[in-house]
Amino acid sequence: MKTDEPDNHDDALRKVLKEWRTDAALPPRFQENVWQRIELMHASAAPSIWAAVAHWIGTMLPRPAMTVAYVAVLLVVGATVGWTQAHQTNTRVNSELGARYVQELDPYQAVRQ
Amino acid sequence: MFKSLTPTKLSGSDPMKRGLLILVFGLIAAAAAYGCIYLTCTASVRNMQQGDKPELAWLKAEFNLNDAEFKRVSELHVAYLPQCAEMCRQIDAQNLRLKQLLAATNRVTSEIEAAITESSRLRSECQRQMLEHFYEVSRTMPPEQGRRYLAWVQDKTFLSDYGMKQ
Repeated sequence: MKTDEPDNHDDALRKVLKEWRTDAALPPRFQENVWQRIELMHASAAPSIWAAVAHWIGTMLPRPAMTVAYVAVLLVVGATVGWTQAHQTNTRVNSELGARYVQELDPYQAVRQ
Repeated sequence: MFKSLTPTKLSGSDPMKRGLLILVFGLIAAAAAYGCIYLTCTASVRNMQQGDKPELAWLKAEFNLNDAEFKRVSELHVAYLPQCAEMCRQIDAQNLRLKQLLAATNRVTSEIEAAITESSRLRSECQRQMLEHFYEVSRTMPPEQGRRYLAWVQDKTFLSDYGMKQ
């Protein structure tokens, strides 16, 4: 038999809280100070970048226009980077093969075994 | 009485899931675009590299040679290689001899002078043979490409600095 269900705890807690009395006096303007501190915390806690990104992913990105724009931009970026790197690879390989051709013909540039 | 412990669906979790899917899809699309463009644009150089004689395949592509011209250039190239190998052998032997002579003394002896003269003769002979080969190859090419080939190959051999940098 279970003895620690949440309802039993809640009931027990409620009972204790009802019976609980304290004679200690609160500091002056206690309530006002508590609210001031809460407001100060809210004001100083700027939303983190991750929260902003998560918000953008959850709310902005699923919009059809934004989805199309996002995928289109990434496609263009991927294609541009691919083309740029391919161009660099082609230039490098052509240069290497040209050098190999010369090395085969010129004994003063030949790579000796 | 037990309260239901089944987690309730958080409001906004579906758009977030959809947003994440779109995010991942976009990244995959970008990677696919990169791969397609890169592989397509580098296909010809990769084919050249995988060939039997990549440097000759490069020559064919660089100077727009047709199959007949390329065949003739390849034949000239193959015929020239033994001459080149023989020159390499003579140059290596002469360099070794000169090195030994230089190590044996601290003055310019008549033997060293003769070895330097022989080195110069070998270089002249090597350059003459190369030049003959280059002219022969250039004549095999279409005139414009032949001129371009000569300018390029002379720049890389006769007019190169052979490691002399300012």
